[in-house]
Amino acid sequence: MASARKIVGQAASKGPSPSVIKEMIYGISLGLAAGFFWKMYHWSSQRRTREFYDLLDKGEISVVVDE
Amino acid sequence: MIEVFLEWRFLTIAPCDAAEPWQLGSQDAATPIMQGIIDLHHDIFFFLILIFVFVSRMLVRALWHFHEQKNPIPQRIVHGTTIEIIRTIFPSIIPMFIAIPSFALLYSMDEVVVDPAITIKAIGHQWYRSYEYSDYNSSDEQSLTFDSYTIPEDDPELGQSRLLEVDNRVVVPAKTHLRMIVTPADVPHSWAVPSSGVKCDAVPGRSNQTSILVQREGVYYGQCSEIRGTNHAFTIVVEAVPLKDYGSRVSNQFILQTN
Repeated sequence: MASARKIVGQAASKGPSPSVIKEMIYGISLGLAAGFFWKMYHWSSQRRTREFYDLLDKGEISVVVDE
Repeated sequence: MIEVFLEWRFLTIAPCDAAEPWQLGSQDAATPIMQGIIDLHHDIFFFLILIFVFVSRMLVRALWHFHEQKNPIPQRIVHGTTIEIIRTIFPSIIPMFIAIPSFALLYSMDEVVVDPAITIKAIGHQWYRSYEYSDYNSSDEQSLTFDSYTIPEDDPELGQSRLLEVDNRVVVPAKTHLRMIVTPADVPHSWAVPSSGVKCDAVPGRSNQTSILVQREGVYYGQCSEIRGTNHAFTIVVEAVPLKDYGSRVSNQFILQTN
């Protein structure tokens, strides 16, 4: 157990130290990517709504059930 | 298949213009104002997602790096002028981007329609509503008035929603500018129809006005939104009909009410 921890410690101390700026850039990029997916949903729902009202105005669809 | 599962699990679609069990999102918009409210919500939600993902990532990575074996010697950072300026300015820019569409919507909601086709007065009582159509009578004639009671819980017909239906609906023409005047007869009430984006308080001694343009025919459900006693949250049901059918529907309603 002690030897395993020593090996991990040795391996870890050789790695690069974390950079705050890099982490912030990665975080903002991920946030923008997630926000972009949300915007795609928003634009899609706007487009569907516009198409619905266009078809309704043209008379191709109706929200009134025929009796 | 995955989309259906995700929609079932995480999203509730509201096929009708009434509240649905476990509903997460808004009801479908029936007026331009409600569509504007939904669009504003989507705009603000973009910033919410951006900030949430960024902060969560920084938190997780900070916890990840705070490891006694992987990083035995932590950085001792006392201050950083550049980052402090950035983290002050950047979050103050975000509310500016939110404020622009928000104020645009707010002022457009306050715009008064100069010449609405129809004016309907909604009077709140404990515990029902009465509606007046005063456009078509001369000064000495009585207005067309009817009461609207919520159908009790043990009395609905098959297909009716529990505690959402009324005996007499407010019939309005679709695709027509309306003016609603809201006032109470006793205690404060509030005339609210979520799918129309309308919530207008009824304050004793005052008449409040709101404008509505219903874009499609349908039946829209709302509830009183100002608590006032035992049978609070009685319902409001607006039925939008084609303009050509409006006259006959309203006159039929008054004939039934009179009988």
